[in-house]
Amino acid sequence: MNSLKIARVALRVAGRSQPVLRRGYADVAPDKLRLSLALPHQTIYKSQDVVQVNIAAESGEMGILAQHVPSIEQLKPGLVEVIEEAGGNKQFFLSGGFATVQPGSVLSINAVEGYPLEDFSAENVRNQISEAQKIAGGSGSEQDKAEANIELEVLESLQAALK
Amino acid sequence: MAFAWKAAGITYNRYLAVAARVVRRSLKDDKRLQAERRGEMDLRFAKWEGGKQGENKSLADANQADMAAHAGQSQ
Repeated sequence: MNSLKIARVALRVAGRSQPVLRRGYADVAPDKLRLSLALPHQTIYKSQDVVQVNIAAESGEMGILAQHVPSIEQLKPGLVEVIEEAGGNKQFFLSGGFATVQPGSVLSINAVEGYPLEDFSAENVRNQISEAQKIAGGSGSEQDKAEANIELEVLESLQAALK
Repeated sequence: MAFAWKAAGITYNRYLAVAARVVRRSLKDDKRLQAERRGEMDLRFAKWEGGKQGENKSLADANQADMAAHAGQSQ
């Protein structure tokens, strides 16, 4: 209590010329989003302040800015775009997972696999699409066909992102 | 939300695994070799009853059998 009084007095004395924006360590700046983007084997962003994040949720494409309402979104396999403070745009293709916006502009994205677009090979994607189409239209078990359809959904999203 | 894979009995866990496998296989060859190792799973398990170990089964096969059995149950 005493230290608080001293701090307040010091502020009154020293801070006449400019308003001091006091923020504790835990608070995010009012116009920034604190992003953590993690895969099981790698952390892409760890509590980093960014401006905007665009995600591909099952309920639709959405852009998340600071002060977003807390929500939990299941992600479709698709692109996540991060607009950073320094003005750079980074895009990652995520295989699927969840995005959680917590109170106080904290966004956590968890995915199983995620890579920047330049790490993908369009030829590998095409080969897999034709193989998956063969299985999906073939005479295998329901399981195999359903898995081939999942693969097709991911591959089509990836192919569109690579264009 | 009704998902086609759920109707076919595939669990969310398996859905994530299949999607991840596809993404790994779509990488350029140098990254792909490292990534494919993450997809390998060779887990075996055995049930114990009354102090006796049961038959050693592969987890992948057991899961597949369970999913096939549950196909069409959820809508």
